[in-house]
Amino acid sequence: MKTCIACGMPMKKESDFAMGDTSKEYCVYCAKEDGSMQSFEEKKQSLINFTIKTQGLEETVAEKAVEAMMRQLPAWKTRF
Amino acid sequence: MKTKRQIQKEATRKLILDAAYQVYANEGFSATTNQIAKAANVSHGTIFVHFPTVDNLIICLLERFGSEINEHLHLLSEKDESLETFLAAHINVLICYEDFYKRLISEINSLPQEAKYVFINIQSVVSLHLNQVIERDKEQKVVKEIPMHIIFNSWLGLIHYYLTNNYLFAAGSVLTDHKDELILNYIKLIRK
Ligand SMILES: [Zn+2]
Repeated sequence: MKTCIACGMPMKKESDFAMGDTSKEYCVYCAKEDGSMQSFEEKKQSLINFTIKTQGLEETVAEKAVEAMMRQLPAWKTRF
Repeated sequence: MKTKRQIQKEATRKLILDAAYQVYANEGFSATTNQIAKAANVSHGTIFVHFPTVDNLIICLLERFGSEINEHLHLLSEKDESLETFLAAHINVLICYEDFYKRLISEINSLPQEAKYVFINIQSVVSLHLNQVIERDKEQKVVKEIPMHIIFNSWLGLIHYYLTNNYLFAAGSVLTDHKDELILNYIKLIRK
């Protein structure tokens, strides 16, 4: 199974892929409206916001956790 | 193409991680690398060829555990799943890793900082799925006006309480015994 290079989500159904295109390496949540992949900063901020919203984390903790996750992902390897 | 040497290296690495998983599940995270080496049937030094420090071993193990849970949960969850189905999927995944997970949530505060972040990210996968289900239920106005993080933390708090106090509620697997009861009543708490 493919996993999204930008957030790590497993992609099994067509609808998991950006633009429903299974040849894409990133998922529907990591795509911008035009179908291109979100930038590092955009993705980072949206993951931080999401973690705070869904888990209630303190902001610096959320940021550290998101960085730890992004560090593992092929799309952001060069950013760390 | 991977060389024979690379394949061998990966196999040993997997062997060590499998052994560490089992030893930590049985003994907790204070178990020694000697115990892990013994369980993996490798020399003590071999562990440090693959993992420079114990912290690194724990972090790699948690990362692998996280991606397993991630995949497992994703496979079990369906596009238009109900809250019941998702909560059952979450518990079913945890049942597969119950002993290890119990150790993890009991001892997370004494694990290295980096491991705590990995732990948060394991939970992020769960919160992502739960959030999708709840957003849909909120649109249909069947869920009470409760912030998402309280909905998520209440669920996690509930199952973690049962897990860490297993002995109070079950002779064997607490999640297996109380799964239906926990899901049914949690839903009653958050639904209108
Ligand atoms: Zn993604």
